[in-house]
Amino acid sequence: MLDWLKNINKEHPEFWKEYLAKFSKKSNRYVILSTESTGDSLEKDVITYISAFAVVDNAILIKDSFETILLQYRFLHDNHLSNEYIIESKLLKLSEPEALKAFVEYLGNSIIVGHEVEKDVEMLNATLERMDCGKLRNEALDIDIMHRKLNDLPEEKEFSLQELTESYHIQNTTNDSVTEKAYNIALLFLKLKFKLGLK
Amino acid sequence: MNIIAEQIAEFLKKYAPFNQLTSGELAEIASNIRVVSLEKKQTLFKFNDPLHDSFYVVASGVVNISVIADAEESITNKCHEGTIFGLRPFFAKNNYKVTAKAREESLVYAIPIAVFKPLLANNSEVLNFLLENFASNLPEDRSTQGNIVSDGFYSEKQSEAQFFQTLAYNTTPLLATSDNTAQEVAQLMAESLKNNVIIFERNGPIGIVTHADLASKIATGRYPVHTQVSNIMSSPVVTVLENVSLAEAQLLMLKNNVTHLCVTIDGTDKSPIKGVISEHDLIAAQASNPGVLIKEIKRSLSANELKEIRSRLTNLIQSSIQKNIPLTHITNIASEINFAILKRAVELSILELGSPPARFAWLSIGSQGRKEQLLLTDQDSILVFEDVAQDKYIEVKDYFLNLGKKTTSILEKIGYKLCPHGHMGSNMMWCKSLSDWIKQYNNWMNTTRDNTENLSSIFFDYELVIGEQKIETAINKIVFENAYNNTLFFDFLGNDALRKNSPLSFFKKFIVEEEGIHKDKFDIKTRAIMPLVDSARLFALSYEIKGINNTYTRFKQLAIADPKHSEIYLNCAEAYLFLTKIRTLEGLKNEDSGQYINLEELSKIDREKLKNALMPMKELEELIKDKFQLTQFS
Repeated sequence: MLDWLKNINKEHPEFWKEYLAKFSKKSNRYVILSTESTGDSLEKDVITYISAFAVVDNAILIKDSFETILLQYRFLHDNHLSNEYIIESKLLKLSEPEALKAFVEYLGNSIIVGHEVEKDVEMLNATLERMDCGKLRNEALDIDIMHRKLNDLPEEKEFSLQELTESYHIQNTTNDSVTEKAYNIALLFLKLKFKLGLK
Repeated sequence: MNIIAEQIAEFLKKYAPFNQLTSGELAEIASNIRVVSLEKKQTLFKFNDPLHDSFYVVASGVVNISVIADAEESITNKCHEGTIFGLRPFFAKNNYKVTAKAREESLVYAIPIAVFKPLLANNSEVLNFLLENFASNLPEDRSTQGNIVSDGFYSEKQSEAQFFQTLAYNTTPLLATSDNTAQEVAQLMAESLKNNVIIFERNGPIGIVTHADLASKIATGRYPVHTQVSNIMSSPVVTVLENVSLAEAQLLMLKNNVTHLCVTIDGTDKSPIKGVISEHDLIAAQASNPGVLIKEIKRSLSANELKEIRSRLTNLIQSSIQKNIPLTHITNIASEINFAILKRAVELSILELGSPPARFAWLSIGSQGRKEQLLLTDQDSILVFEDVAQDKYIEVKDYFLNLGKKTTSILEKIGYKLCPHGHMGSNMMWCKSLSDWIKQYNNWMNTTRDNTENLSSIFFDYELVIGEQKIETAINKIVFENAYNNTLFFDFLGNDALRKNSPLSFFKKFIVEEEGIHKDKFDIKTRAIMPLVDSARLFALSYEIKGINNTYTRFKQLAIADPKHSEIYLNCAEAYLFLTKIRTLEGLKNEDSGQYINLEELSKIDREKLKNALMPMKELEELIKDKFQLTQFS
């Protein structure tokens, strides 16, 4: 109950302070986020992959993207899993604290957009807590909710990313990687943003 | 580089000028791209907008480039997947001169100029490509004012440039010396099917003999056949330089009142002969001219060539409609060209299969048979071959089935979709001997009730494409004999015509599609055009109007045959024209069959006109019910 008291005197890491300082200004940048985790549990499961694209002025910036594999030695070891396939790939690989630090720096004060974004944010928050940081302060938009709002659909109706991309005529890419998911969410977001008349 | 950038690089690699870049350069471009999503009708940039810092490549969908001339928006270019546009920032500093608008939901890649420009320095080919594209994409750059749509039967892209294009001409002219006789020269021309011979001396051309000279000087008896050619030649001959432009050649011919120009190395008559330009070459240079198209069709040797010609026909139709040339003229010209293409397709198949073992007739049915095909719609056809001895029958049928298959597949390559109901000469059912066909028509028309499942009214609109005229006449005869006083048959046709769903609701609102991909669009084909077409056929058969298949002319003829109701028929004729025009415009805009009209895109006046065009059908419907007393099939 007195959780917040515990945190009050705790010293946050340096990058977190910088992150908080950024919120003095409002951002026009959206960060489209897609993550992959080992499961849904906030305690036991960990994030294994983060991918994101930035959207500024109604365009997806391919250069302004973030993509990393999190090397979760502890989790893999605990569950007797092998990680040789991950090691093989050419992608950027960082340990959990490094990856989160890089991501928070990339994210800044941008508005987060995702599909079922709540889960992503909760997972990130749980990880950040392990690193003595607070919760993310960014606004978060969910394309699922945007879709429901646009079409006046009931709250409890949920749409998979697949269904959404189909209903907005977005060509599906062949593979199903986290990065492609993020890209598809970004395309959906552009369409929804235009249709809802968001600035 | 992440996977999305890789995919973009892969995509770009397929198209010029990116295919000339190294993979490193491509990767650099791909990772700097901004992806922009455009909704239908969304504007990317418009006339007089300040320049963007990037140019664009269409990733999916279609973007229309249009200019505004005389307060009217006219589309100058449709950018499909892989097309680059918006190159202005490369070459100019002032604002955009065109408007780029998405025709459908589209995705475009914005490539920053700052990233691309350094690459140009090392790649002169890429630079040239962009320059050419810039020049051809923006015709208004040459003349900022004035109407872009040119006159004549060609699209604006060619209109101005073509006068400066160089001509293709005969570079191996027939030659003779002045001591040849007129007869020898005439022989030479007859053998090589040319209409002119250049007469030369040691150091150049001294004259020319043409058909006209032979006709006016030899055939009239003024000179004997054995006279020296120097007596009858036109001299001196007008000489020009190599690479003379179309405009120049035209002017020279007019000025000197000649039909041929002789090309020499330095343009004087004192240098060696390079070739001869005839009036025909000038016409041929004006590519999309109906006569030239037909000529090219007759010469073409592959489906691809025909396809290219068919796309020029589309341009011709589009520019003709924009210039308000009466639709009846356009339809006539277009169907002549269409028929030439169909005929050539059959000929090409025959060339491949060898000559047919029996006489036959390839008949177009449906909209092609009615000569109403402006857009690339389905192909419908039947094949009739003459009756042969029993033992040959299988072999002959085999040949014609093969012919049917070859032809339909050629037509498919050209862009005529296969008929979804299989109404084609390649189908076993519709490739039969004449007696089988007569039996078929007899069955359809006399025992209509038992044969409704494969009876389609399109079998009663037929037109000979190639083959024996007699076969068509035979079918004609059987149809009209059977139609005479055939209440049951007319009953069927009448019901078929009226069965189509009505276009307007009780409250005079358009009834639009309720579901499917064409939701909220108006199905102009089945709800408005087909009833008119079907009724025109029904009346034409009952009044025994033969040899006229076109719906518009059928109504015109009916007004004469049935003067009591002539007003109704004439109204229908006009309504039909208007509906076809709307459909054609829609089809050209969306490059489809134009079956579904988006009502919101029509202007208010056009919408009212469309509503009015639906009225004559109501009156016609009453007339049909009255005349044919529909009961049996309703």
